[in-house]
Amino acid sequence: MSANGARLERYAELAVRVGANVQPGQEVFVHGLVEHAELVRELVRQSYRAGASYVNVEYGDQHVRRAMIELGPDEALTYSPEWLKRLAESMAGCAQLGTAGDPEPELLADLDGERVGRAIPLEAAELFRQHHKDRSVNWCGVGAPTEGWARQVLGEPDVERLWELVAFCFRLDEPDPVAAWREHLERLEARAAALTERRADALRYRGPGTDFTVGLLPGARWGTARFRTAGGIDYVANMPTEEIFTTPDSRRAEGTLRSSMPLNLAGQLIRGLELTFENGRIVQVEAETGADVVRGHLASIENADRLGELALVTKESRVGQTGTLFYSTLFDENATCHVAYGFGLPYSFDGEPDEGMNVSNIHVDFMVGGPDLEVDAVLADGTELPLIRNEEWQLAD
Amino acid sequence: MDDRLERYAELVVRVGANVQPGQEVFLFPNIEHSELARALTRQAYRAGAAYVHVLYNDAHVQRAMIELGPDEALTYSPEWLKKLVRSCAGNALLATTGDSEPDLMADLDGERVGRAIPQEIIEIRMQQLAENTVNWCGIGAPNEGWARQVFGEPDVERLWEKVAFCMRLDEPDPTAAWEEHLTRLAERSARLNELRPDALRYRGPGTDLTVGLLPGVRWISGAHHTAGGIRYVANMPTEEVFTSPDARRTEGTIRATLPLPLSGQIVRGLELTFEGGRAVRVEAETGAELVRSHFETIENADRLGEVALVTKESRVGQADTLFYDPLFDENAACHVAYGTGFPFLADGEPPEGMNLANHHVDFMVGGPELEVDAVLADGTAVPLIRNEEWQLA
Repeated sequence: MSANGARLERYAELAVRVGANVQPGQEVFVHGLVEHAELVRELVRQSYRAGASYVNVEYGDQHVRRAMIELGPDEALTYSPEWLKRLAESMAGCAQLGTAGDPEPELLADLDGERVGRAIPLEAAELFRQHHKDRSVNWCGVGAPTEGWARQVLGEPDVERLWELVAFCFRLDEPDPVAAWREHLERLEARAAALTERRADALRYRGPGTDFTVGLLPGARWGTARFRTAGGIDYVANMPTEEIFTTPDSRRAEGTLRSSMPLNLAGQLIRGLELTFENGRIVQVEAETGADVVRGHLASIENADRLGELALVTKESRVGQTGTLFYSTLFDENATCHVAYGFGLPYSFDGEPDEGMNVSNIHVDFMVGGPDLEVDAVLADGTELPLIRNEEWQLAD
Repeated sequence: MDDRLERYAELVVRVGANVQPGQEVFLFPNIEHSELARALTRQAYRAGAAYVHVLYNDAHVQRAMIELGPDEALTYSPEWLKKLVRSCAGNALLATTGDSEPDLMADLDGERVGRAIPQEIIEIRMQQLAENTVNWCGIGAPNEGWARQVFGEPDVERLWEKVAFCMRLDEPDPTAAWEEHLTRLAERSARLNELRPDALRYRGPGTDLTVGLLPGVRWISGAHHTAGGIRYVANMPTEEVFTSPDARRTEGTIRATLPLPLSGQIVRGLELTFEGGRAVRVEAETGAELVRSHFETIENADRLGEVALVTKESRVGQADTLFYDPLFDENAACHVAYGTGFPFLADGEPPEGMNLANHHVDFMVGGPELEVDAVLADGTAVPLIRNEEWQLA
């Protein structure tokens, strides 16, 4: 086996064993783009090696999606085929692996942004999301390097270089990647626990173009991407992961947030996104490019105009250390602090979610962190506690 | 945009599956067929499709299952996949062939390879064929691996030229050329239906076989109609007239004249001997085990389900190319199939003698030396094929 083949195998094995933590006898669902076939196949092999009873693979094709948006009838945009709903339902109790890494990030750029934003199979999306609420699926999303993705990240189709960066973010350079991941996750969990204990009432963001306050919910914990299913299976939902995050009080967001990195969304690239909030809702969307896609979401999807997630990331991040803009949410959200509009995360709560958690059919992360961003926790008595300065963590454990 | 690709896809969507406005369209391409699948998707939407479903198949995923998966995985039919295949009823379906790695399964356990069939899925599809509820079309998708097998080098452009020739894309008006061609084939099948032979007799090198025919079962060709009345061409290219025989009355030996790619292996020199309608002996230079495992694990796979006649006017025959793909090769030469017959060839319930199975494998038996006669009820033999030429006025 070639060195690259061995790396691919170790990468997939880590995603299957540490990430999704596929259990013997479990059925597995793998979702990837056709351009990710090499990695998808390795994930399938590693899943069977881990004892999977059956591996379902459903490939997505962005060109098929483009044809639907460009040439299909209006009803097609939001249509959820029965089989897709059945597939979503079938995943309860199963493991899932997803691959990310857009091989053609500008593919949908010339299409009607409003239609691009509206093209979501709503009923099926709701069923997939139900698994989050029920904690019924142990899943993991990983990156799949392709020529197109490498061209976007590095300016040339150097897949090998992109693989090296991805492998670094994955800690595959460590002598024992499994142990390195355990240690890393424990560090993030200590941060999350310390912040949860402070019971802050709000977060305050200040930086270039940003002056923003968002309320927190008393019942919402700060957590990491290490989860446990209702059935007791531990899994890491995203690899890499460098964040601690919570679900905010979506009724209490005021001010303006400027994104600090481009956002790849539905095949279009959103640059310089700037959102202004009043009473929890986005009242103004500005961007250098792609504002229509975001406006399409906000206009057509209920509660897309409220926040669902706040996440804190510091410069120890492996993704941040690469100094690379990956143009992929999976990676970039782990380079720096981010927030998401759309649905909140029910698993931030030990019991029933608080009333202020946003409920929607979409969840879009965008990056707001950077050297000049200051994040403070605002306590109930008004005290401001620095959390992040110069991308460094300020709170003692 | 690649003009030939779009014209090809348009012909398939309009003349082949004949996608109706408001229909949903299902595509089941191999992952290596994505270029064509995308063009078919575009053309289907242009024809007014309500929605186009594309479910990619990946032979490497299948390989991993056979090599590394548990025994139960081999025949497992996931619920969502059953739902998807059921949804095809009343809608249009486009299937692509063109194996990019024909030897992919060659080093695996042939018995497991042969057994790896999602039985319930196949049953649903067979039911749809029987009820004729789907307007569908199977076509070729040129790719490097397929070109390498055909030419010994990955000359995809040359393969595209061959395929385009077989598809009559060189004609000024391919649609009109197809209408003319379909009419000629329809005249042949009409003539056989008037003649009502009781049996067919095959004679050639290694072949001496008689197979009975069923009185209530039609000969048909190229164009079909769904139960709902949509005309479609199930295979493009198509050069055959065919029927389902009386599976109880097959006697003798038949030798394949072309290699048969099957489940990632190549079956060469297949020779089947029949007694009382069932294959009692399977010989082959390579791949015999795969065919034997079909016969052992799939009920009635060991009986014939189709006899088809093809002559040298065939575009595929004229291409003088072994495509290593039944869709093409079966249209180059006469062939038969073991496995299921086609219930839609009979009015009402399928007659007792028609074979029903969860599998259908065509293999080629035609060639310059094959003689095919129709044997009439009174014992008269009427020549049908000599020198690959049609003999019946």
